[in-house]
Amino acid sequence: MRIGIVSPYSFDVPGGVQNHIMDLAEALIDLGHEVSVLAPADDDAELPDYVVPAGRAVPLPYNGSVARITFGPLSTARVRRWLARGKFDVLHVHEPISPSLSFLAVLSARGPVVATFHTAMTRSRFLSAAQPFVQPVVEKITARIAVSELARKVHVEHLGGGAVEIPNGVAVAKFASAAPLPGWPGEGGALGFLGRFTEPRKGFPLLRTAYVTLARQRPGLRLLVAGPGDRDELFEEIPPELHDRVEFLGLVSEADKARMLRSVDVYVAPNTGGESFGMILTEAMAAGAAIAASDLDAFRRVLDGGRAGALFPNGDAVALTTLLGELLDDSPRRAELASCARTVVATFDWPSVANRVLEVYATAIEATDGRVFDDEWVDHGKGT
Amino acid sequence: MPGMWWVVGVVVLAAIFSAYLGWTAQRVERLHLRAQAAERALDAHLMRRAAAAAVVAEQGDSVELYAAARLALDAEPGDRESAENDLTRQLQGIELDPGDPAARTLIATSRRVVLARQVHTDLVRDALSARRRVLVRVLGLNRRHQRPEYFDIVEPTLPDLPPVVVPAPAHPAEGVLPTAPV
Repeated sequence: MRIGIVSPYSFDVPGGVQNHIMDLAEALIDLGHEVSVLAPADDDAELPDYVVPAGRAVPLPYNGSVARITFGPLSTARVRRWLARGKFDVLHVHEPISPSLSFLAVLSARGPVVATFHTAMTRSRFLSAAQPFVQPVVEKITARIAVSELARKVHVEHLGGGAVEIPNGVAVAKFASAAPLPGWPGEGGALGFLGRFTEPRKGFPLLRTAYVTLARQRPGLRLLVAGPGDRDELFEEIPPELHDRVEFLGLVSEADKARMLRSVDVYVAPNTGGESFGMILTEAMAAGAAIAASDLDAFRRVLDGGRAGALFPNGDAVALTTLLGELLDDSPRRAELASCARTVVATFDWPSVANRVLEVYATAIEATDGRVFDDEWVDHGKGT
Repeated sequence: MPGMWWVVGVVVLAAIFSAYLGWTAQRVERLHLRAQAAERALDAHLMRRAAAAAVVAEQGDSVELYAAARLALDAEPGDRESAENDLTRQLQGIELDPGDPAARTLIATSRRVVLARQVHTDLVRDALSARRRVLVRVLGLNRRHQRPEYFDIVEPTLPDLPPVVVPAPAHPAEGVLPTAPV
């Protein structure tokens, strides 16, 4: 199948949507499809060979943050040319309801259009102001995908119409085969945390309290923290005698994230709210770490009700301390959680997610011209 | 000459308005054609699901499931929705064997029914809301196309079977680093 994918955001800056698009494109190519990705980028930027640059991205304040996007007559011409040359069987746009390449592509598209909604934006000024213009664009979208339950809900409330929920994929093989950092996890046990530790919703203070208590009883226990933030700010709150047992990696690349997750005995997700899916948990599951997570709905769903990771009551530092102590002492239990996680995470593996996306493509194509495909080319469940 | 500008103005307005009419007519037609295509696709996938259910029923000697599948295949348009609902209920009540290819086909066809129904519902909604527009009604554009109907069935979701797992390597090869996409 010939598939055209449009990214609203530039690949110059890393981001969830960009990673999603690249992983999806690669998974589709591996499944034998022809994929072209149109994205804002300079003509001389270094890009994977399936990406077609659509010109420099302009920073534009949008919905409370700055989005680097491409929009305007020149971009429209490029989008049209790309569509005409590509002769795609299906066009797959991401975040089309924003002033972006995706929006332009939907406007110019004639055939089946699939749209993926990532953010759970609750209010959009662009959307409210442009409602009469947005409607014809929304009508051109044949099938919609939401990456999380929350994104789906917001989409249904704002635009009417349903969306199929297909979660973000995770490149299981990349995580499962990463090498742990030298010397980790070590004899005394290691806990891991990834995320912005200064953000209250990520729940780092809970883990800090639990770690400080546990580290005083267990002389070898170490803590590995990765994510954006200031080193001094992290260590300020940790008793000085524990400083040499806490390692801070800062913001890590995708490859280092995989290594970091392979380096710990227990990955801790103490988030107190605001998570719609729990991408990091699927990654920790792929890396084979045992997981301790707060019992948010999203986490409970991803962790298969607690079989693929231990849950503790949200916000309860004492319960977290007890749970972590138990997990650190019980290596068979950790192994059991990790092996169950490996089974669960297979549903999130990119090849199987890409197969579900292909089913949506097929549905969109059928709904556009009434052709119904044979099942052969969307082969399911081979697990390869 | 103010008179001429007046005429030019009217002509321009008329041109814009007729372009808008043409665009609206095209849009209404496109929405109806899509709703019809989606209906044909949904019909085909329902047939496939019933056929797949019949195969599973034959293997498992399940008379009730076979009868439900048969009824869904043969249902007249008026009884179709309740027949499909009956089949969904039967399917949700049975235990499927993950190793059985027929069961896997059944799960796959059910998933396609869910998708086809979702898209059909969306496209019918779009077509109906276009039909309700004042301009469309005044010009009688809605009478040129048959009114699309919702296909009102319960969500035919079946639980996914556990995927076929490829065991991950227990110990990664030392020194081999994964290449990041960024």
